Amino acid sequence: MHNQTTFLSAIRTALGETPNIERSKSTFPKLFAAPDTAETLKKIRSRTVTERNELVKILLHNGNTLNISSHIVESLPEAADLVVELIRSTEPEFNYTKHVIMHDHPDIAALELWKRFNREAVTLHTTFSRDRQITDKTIASFIGITAPTIGVADSATVIQLTEPGRPRSTSLLPSLHIALLRRENIVADLAEAYALLRQKSHLDSFVFISGPSKTADIEAHMVYGAHGPRELHLIVLAEPELEK
Amino acid sequence: MSAKPQSQYCRDAQKGMGSPRLQASLHSLQNRFGKGAMTLWAEMDDQDMRRRVKQSRMKNLDHLDILLAELAKKVRARGGHVHFAENAQDAIDYTLEVARKNEVKRVVKGKSMLSMEIAIDSALQEAGMEVVETDLGEYIIQLADDKPSHIIAPCIHMDRSRIGELFTEKLGINYTDDPPSLTAAARKALREKLLSADMGLTGCNLACAATGHISLVSNEGNIRMATTMPPVHVALMGMERIVATLDEHRETVQLLTRGAALQKLSTYVSFVGGPSTSDDPDGPKEFHLVIIDNGRSKILADPEFREVLACIRCGACLNICPVYGRIGGHAYNSPYCGPIGAVITPLLDGINKHADLCKGETLCGACKDICPVQIDLPRMLAGLRQKLAYGSDRWNTKQHNPLEAYAFTLWRQVVSWSPLYRTGLKIARLCQRPFVGKNSMIKRMAGLASGWTDGRDLPPIAKKTFTEIWQKKHATAEVKLPMATKEDNNA
Repeated sequence: MHNQTTFLSAIRTALGETPNIERSKSTFPKLFAAPDTAETLKKIRSRTVTERNELVKILLHNGNTLNISSHIVESLPEAADLVVELIRSTEPEFNYTKHVIMHDHPDIAALELWKRFNREAVTLHTTFSRDRQITDKTIASFIGITAPTIGVADSATVIQLTEPGRPRSTSLLPSLHIALLRRENIVADLAEAYALLRQKSHLDSFVFISGPSKTADIEAHMVYGAHGPRELHLIVLAEPELEK
Repeated sequence: MSAKPQSQYCRDAQKGMGSPRLQASLHSLQNRFGKGAMTLWAEMDDQDMRRRVKQSRMKNLDHLDILLAELAKKVRARGGHVHFAENAQDAIDYTLEVARKNEVKRVVKGKSMLSMEIAIDSALQEAGMEVVETDLGEYIIQLADDKPSHIIAPCIHMDRSRIGELFTEKLGINYTDDPPSLTAAARKALREKLLSADMGLTGCNLACAATGHISLVSNEGNIRMATTMPPVHVALMGMERIVATLDEHRETVQLLTRGAALQKLSTYVSFVGGPSTSDDPDGPKEFHLVIIDNGRSKILADPEFREVLACIRCGACLNICPVYGRIGGHAYNSPYCGPIGAVITPLLDGINKHADLCKGETLCGACKDICPVQIDLPRMLAGLRQKLAYGSDRWNTKQHNPLEAYAFTLWRQVVSWSPLYRTGLKIARLCQRPFVGKNSMIKRMAGLASGWTDGRDLPPIAKKTFTEIWQKKHATAEVKLPMATKEDNNA
């Protein structure tokens, strides 16, 4: 703490304040003042299905320019079909066997992928908190499946919070990242997304993902799959019964 | 005036101008990103956003002590360590100590200019550690034992065949100059490093005081890797890289990624608030935030230059600067190149030492126009030149060229006494005659003045001055002029 005291005193000196008197944030209420988000949150909650479908369209359109492969499905089994097809048609990049790592999330569990591979060598892993081998399993996996908390239409972003059973590496180490996003979790823009984030009492680590990993460091030539996943598949789950 | 034995700056600048590869790369870079950013700003719906963010950056600088204390408190509450480092050595010592305690053998780095500023790589290497850059551009630079020449595109001066040869030599792959194949080779090599490293070392793009997070932007995902896989994460943060609230973060980070690469957001924006919790299966077990001054409080203390600390290091000014666009980044001889480098490098590392930088820029104002937070770099470049011209105690700056100052004092005397000035002109007209070439231009001047004609021809001094022509042609108008001026003054 000693270095903090001298460090901050030096800043106060530079600012022409009394070096040794600590300035308290309570004296500057405006400094941390943030606009009221009640209106924004109300707007998000009260969106009609038609409006939500409009957001899905925008998200998919903007995602397209960022090389996100997007799919709209009406049911979880339909989503499962898509995932199975991706697992079957993709070859592992870093080893020879097909391992898939999935977040511990009810929507992903409801895909019931374990029922789908009776004759093929596909190993499915779920990132249960107690499992101490998750890192190794993730390194071995060529596909990672997550269910992000928020989708942002304007910037084609999915927001992934680090939570128990939902580690960071699932959307990072595998060659393909599949994000399963419910239509009702899509918001219009970052202002709405940040308003939702401000609601969260525990925000330890989280990430905005807007597309597959990419680089243009060699002669400005765009290449997908620099360090992270080379493909990002966004599956939007738009269940029709909600339209009533 | 031209320097007789050329400075390092001039030599590197000429080298840059003489490289067709670099010229082509810089041209296409500026054409795309420089023009693109200007269009983006012009077409942005929220035309007030840049002014607003600038205002919040300045407000946050005025309350920096409060914000940093809040950030530290929040990070510590999550079990993270925060160290305040007054200077480079302090930051290095702390990081070395962390590395020693954790028996670190391999360090993977996320791109950080601050790490270059404090020269931490060599310190870690001397302590026996392997240090690996993981941003593809920085990795190529490291393999080539070269220096980055652009903030966002570090190896813009290298072409694909050079990179192909480099990879063949260093990674042992078959020669290829195909960017996807080269990227794949680096992906494979770096994945091994990233998965087996003991420590991740990154910078910090923007910290948020209210929530106690640092945030990092990247397109490749290397920074996410370096902050997720190794058991220890050390983040180096320039003390000014902080916003107060999440709302400020939202606007500032968007200006950062737009300014940098015309992106609404970079592919990844990751927020780190401390070590991973016991529930997390991955993420670092230790998180250390090193907040670094290293000369910044001195800049903060000077109202003339405080504004430069509002910089969010997007590199947009490089993408429009006519000087950077010709000479490239190496001539700046600093982790920070381009117009921002020409201001921040002298302020951090000595105005006399880097005198060429502010003199080399043109003061055309393009960097101010493109800056997402509208920093008045030309004003500060002129301010630095003023320090060089007259010396400054505050900045411990010596008068750069007393002879030049003397010459200008003399010049002032001459121009303010018209008979002397006119006589001088007549003599100069006579003296220039032998130098006027066939195209009626002066091709070469002698001695110190030769620098003016090295790269171009100069028009000779006209036979008659403007005043003489005016007096001859408009002798009648002469009466009216002073009256008009008088009226203007009264109005």
